[in-house]
Amino acid sequence: MSYIDVLREAKDVVTPGMSACQGCGGELILRTVLQVSGKNTIVGIPPGCMAGAGVVGWNYANGLEIPVHIPLLDNTASFLTGVSQMYERKGRTDVNIVAVAGDGATADCGFQSLSAAAERNEKMLYVCYDNEGYMNTGYQRSSTTSRGSRTSTTPIGSVINGKQQHQKYLPLIMSMHGLEYCATASPSHMADLVAKVQKGLAASKKGFAYLHVFSPCPTGWAYKSEKAIEVARKAVASNVFPLWEMDENGYKLTENKNPISVAEFVQGIGKFKNLTPEVIESIQKVADARYETLRKLSAK
Amino acid sequence: MGKKVVLTGNYSASEAAALCRPDLIAAYPITPQSSVVEYLAGMVHNGKIDANLVQVESEHSACSVVQGAVAAGGRVFTATSAQGLALMYEPYFRMSTLRFPMVMALATREMTSPETVWSGQQDAMSVREAGWIQVYCDGNQEIVDMVIQGYKIAENEKVLLPVNVCYDGFYSSHLTEGVDLPLQEEVDRFLPAVHFNHCVLDPEKPFALDPLTPGPLMMKYRKSHLDAMEAALTVIEEVDKEFGDQFGRYYGGAISEYRTEDADVVILTIGGMTGTGMDAVDLAREQGIKAGLVKIRFARPFPAKRIAKALAGKKAFAVIDRSVSFGWSTGPMYMETRAALTDVDDKFAHFSAIGGLGGADISLDRMLGTIKKLDTVKNEPGQKETQWYMTD
Repeated sequence: MSYIDVLREAKDVVTPGMSACQGCGGELILRTVLQVSGKNTIVGIPPGCMAGAGVVGWNYANGLEIPVHIPLLDNTASFLTGVSQMYERKGRTDVNIVAVAGDGATADCGFQSLSAAAERNEKMLYVCYDNEGYMNTGYQRSSTTSRGSRTSTTPIGSVINGKQQHQKYLPLIMSMHGLEYCATASPSHMADLVAKVQKGLAASKKGFAYLHVFSPCPTGWAYKSEKAIEVARKAVASNVFPLWEMDENGYKLTENKNPISVAEFVQGIGKFKNLTPEVIESIQKVADARYETLRKLSAK
Repeated sequence: MGKKVVLTGNYSASEAAALCRPDLIAAYPITPQSSVVEYLAGMVHNGKIDANLVQVESEHSACSVVQGAVAAGGRVFTATSAQGLALMYEPYFRMSTLRFPMVMALATREMTSPETVWSGQQDAMSVREAGWIQVYCDGNQEIVDMVIQGYKIAENEKVLLPVNVCYDGFYSSHLTEGVDLPLQEEVDRFLPAVHFNHCVLDPEKPFALDPLTPGPLMMKYRKSHLDAMEAALTVIEEVDKEFGDQFGRYYGGAISEYRTEDADVVILTIGGMTGTGMDAVDLAREQGIKAGLVKIRFARPFPAKRIAKALAGKKAFAVIDRSVSFGWSTGPMYMETRAALTDVDDKFAHFSAIGGLGGADISLDRMLGTIKKLDTVKNEPGQKETQWYMTD
């Protein structure tokens, strides 16, 4: 079945009235993941944009048509471990156990519990929507924020200019945990995203599945909301966010032989507007090196 | 009758937890608790109990994993001490405010700094505003019995709160005593299978667990939590009687009293110091002092009415704390005991005694000294200087 048919036939279980920003990548990712996962799902959505936008529920109303809990910012994978193990005890392994968490809850303070759950190979699908910062609290820097980014805690100053460090490349770190399935995806490549959610759900019946999804953020990154998918597509096209997956057969990179430059990717994105040529070059080097590492890992 | 065995306090907690048929146990080490979860791990790995064992990476996750399992309808157990309790504070507070029933053993230990691994009740006392029920044991038999009673109290539909079974690190956790271990069928009769369903995540009955909650509704939740604490005072007494009727061991409920009937002066104790305190009372009686003892068994809910009744008509009391209340220059149970009494400065001579911090001994001599001091000042109502059990 094509991904269009999959999404056409599956019910959207997220409230139509959520308050995410126009052009939010996170909302599109959440809707898509839960549409594929379906009603037989328990989802944990920790504090962050999605929870803040009301999908856990607020004002005496629920935000989803499926059971949902807002775990703590730092314990999503641990909390769902308990849920998952109890459902296995009950013999109800058909129930999908899913996390949809931002990069702060995943790569920063949630990383300890995430890493441990992955190492124990707990049965769940953990989806990170990575918008490269704490957008829900006003765009503070996280460990996945890319170098040179202007954020609330790494402002453009007269002495220090944006974030000084390169981003932590979490998906590759996660893939080293011996888990069942690990992949990157982008809402600009919907067929690929839907297929990876399906594979992740299937893998979550055997162990830990991790999906790291690029989440363009017009509000935090400062670009026009209608450009969201274009920004996501350029992130993939420039190898800033390469698409790959890892399963029991090893790594598989979606090859991108003629990438656009990092300079082209950052064009028109407000958070990058103060990048110096030197910083752009250093981001280009990191992107090239990362792609090369993934290419070698994927070589048969 | 059960099986006569010799166990440490930690193994007593483990054996009792196993008898309660937990669905899931989270295990993470910390001195002096470690052997609780080690022992349970051995039982799981040897097929002696049918429980899921999750070897987590921290106490924060220990509390989070069991929280998830309760959210899926399970009976759970874990144990910790001091820094581990501090690390798990975030999910710990949420366990009670989600009204999740469970039992957690707490081998009490001093909080760092100064760096220490030894006994003290500062850890448990520091979280007494976190919404959990707290019972303090002074022997291994009581640990066994209170773990079992703990689930019965926690899962009572009028209560639905988590229970900490606290016992003194090393003094109880590592001390070996003879224990009457109930048989499985006896515990099964006392403690039915877990059945709460007020919070269970299930796709067949979808709901949002803990959406953003407006203040007026939150106020209702908090009041309901406080009401449940109040109700727990009655449930504690009922469970004590039911347990006693079946197993022949009664603990007195939220407090127990020793030789208080005709006493002029009373010491109040909590936890493992109680046995020494009873010896001190006996010695004082031999010396002509009409002494008695009140053992505070539950610190949460605080048994204010029963303490007031036990002290009614007495001339003097001292509360011996194995922890401090920063800002009051006393121990915390002393302050709460005072708060339970009306016109305390007119009716009683009273003071706080602090001892046993960081594993220091609370000696018979010291406790006898407290009783003698009470006897000296018993006709001079009002607060006296805090006694510190210093060794030099």
